[in-house]
Amino acid sequence: MHPGVIDYIILATYFLYVLGIGWLVKRRVKTGADFLTSGHSIPVWVTSLAFIATNLGAQEVIGMVASGAKYGMLTCNFYWLGAIPGMIILGVFMMPFYYGSRARSAPEYLKLRFDEKTRGFNAITFAVMTIFSSGISMYALGLLFQLVLGWSFTNSVLLSAAIVLAYTYLGGLTSAIYNEVLQFFLIVLGFAPLAIMAVAKAGGWAGVTARTTAWMAGQPAFAHNPDVMTHTWKYMGHASSNLMGVEWFGMLFGLGWVLGCSYWCCNFLVVQRAMAAQSMAASRLTPLIAAFPKMVMPVVVIAPGLAAIALHQMGTPGILVPKGNTYNYNLVLTNLMAQFYPSGLLGVGLTALFASFMSGMAGNVTAFNTVFTYDIYQSYIRKHASDAHYFKVARITTVVGVLLSIGAAYWAARSNNIMDFLQLVFGFVNAPLFATFLLGMFWKRTTGHGAFAGLIVGEIVATLTLGLSIAEGTGGWFGVVHTFPSAMAQNFWIAILSFTSCLIFTVLVSMMTRPKPVAELENLVYGYTKIPVERNVPWYERPILLAVIVGVACILFNIWFW
Amino acid sequence: MDDLRVPIGSFFAILGAMLLIAFFTVTTGPALATPRVNLWCGLAMLLFGAIMLLLARRGKA
Repeated sequence: MHPGVIDYIILATYFLYVLGIGWLVKRRVKTGADFLTSGHSIPVWVTSLAFIATNLGAQEVIGMVASGAKYGMLTCNFYWLGAIPGMIILGVFMMPFYYGSRARSAPEYLKLRFDEKTRGFNAITFAVMTIFSSGISMYALGLLFQLVLGWSFTNSVLLSAAIVLAYTYLGGLTSAIYNEVLQFFLIVLGFAPLAIMAVAKAGGWAGVTARTTAWMAGQPAFAHNPDVMTHTWKYMGHASSNLMGVEWFGMLFGLGWVLGCSYWCCNFLVVQRAMAAQSMAASRLTPLIAAFPKMVMPVVVIAPGLAAIALHQMGTPGILVPKGNTYNYNLVLTNLMAQFYPSGLLGVGLTALFASFMSGMAGNVTAFNTVFTYDIYQSYIRKHASDAHYFKVARITTVVGVLLSIGAAYWAARSNNIMDFLQLVFGFVNAPLFATFLLGMFWKRTTGHGAFAGLIVGEIVATLTLGLSIAEGTGGWFGVVHTFPSAMAQNFWIAILSFTSCLIFTVLVSMMTRPKPVAELENLVYGYTKIPVERNVPWYERPILLAVIVGVACILFNIWFW
Repeated sequence: MDDLRVPIGSFFAILGAMLLIAFFTVTTGPALATPRVNLWCGLAMLLFGAIMLLLARRGKA
């Protein structure tokens, strides 16, 4: 890939805009609360787009194209099953408690609802996770640019980290959110031409279907169901008949219910965007409005992967390149860009890659900031200081967070396989959380001891499941009791077992411990929280109605690509 | 900054203009590139930028 002068000018223009937005927002940020929580001042269309953009990190974009090439339409389940239901549940059921409690972070909600130890445990694991996520993301970007552009790893890591640091330091959460919206449009407009050109070159959707079918027919394991790449549910009856090696139950319960909901409803990284909205109504609308673009994102990020297989089957070289005895799917996106984008559009594509990386990293940095300042520093280090003091701490935390992420990126560069392992661990650290929040919000009898015990047991069960099972060479350090057909199945079942054990233990321990007095549950639990009913507002401002529309549309998508 | 639509609109308008410049100056491209893709994408981004700026103006009025 050889960018020209115009491509570098486009990239430079983008960097100027990003820094400019940070600088313009700075004038509005006057207090620590402005810096960390945006002072509930952001319009709903902005919070909605930021809500999905923060999840559209570089790994998400590169990874979804890669999965599209590896698993085909089954990858859509990460959207139509693993995201939309979680976003509906957040908007309809959970947001009233997050917003109504006036908590400034998800761990703080746990403190208000349960107790200090539950908050502390959640805050510390979350803080560590965000640093590593941002480090992994930075490492992925540095590695990619080194491989396809020949740029030095250090230069791309330091340049992008410096820019993210500059705009988050200047304008805090507001600056991160505003930039995420710009990044969202850039990612969509930058990659959509690639999807359109690649699919058109492969003969349209009919061509993609015919050619991926011909491709699968050549593989002995799928010779009897060669259309497996263009269906989402048709071959989910048995793990061996689909490309992910997962059966319908693991998919539905593990991805759809546990992993999807724990990410979209309990991960402060995304929930923070909804909490920044202007009112409770706006905060509930945030994930529901975001669900519309989220639902059609597969067109931009999964279609190119499928088209890549079709083009490869047609004999186009340089798109699906071999790696060992399989293929290097992670290079599919950049290979497509090199084959389809002339100078000019190539600059837009590279800028979109930078943008996706920055949105992911800034999301982690701002979430880390808030959780560290409010849930760790203010709770355990210095309790009753002035807002100005916490403002200063938050700014220093921004710098420290970025420096730690750079450290994590270099650590990842030195020991690559450890990062793959960590990513697996992040998946199951989150899994039991959904049980904790669900019980906390909807069962008034849940106690702090119960929630804490449930979380700990959930993590232990997750670790044990990984330690006692093996899939594609992962896990099995304590011996192999069960072999999963794929790493994906292992991941989903770890989540299922972790969630279920957390749920059971939270209930059991709650029954044995003293419940919180009803007076202290106001605005925290269902039945004790005044949930505004929207009357006399246009249909598009009614959460329930929007949720129904989104839900029906999502079901139709599932049926369409059955 | 009061309206995010202004920076977004102007950014994509500039990006569109740059793609039009690329269309007139860049003569070679990779094998699979659709002809005139810089032109079409440039026009699309100009249009998107213009709509954003227009919405911002209307929002203010």
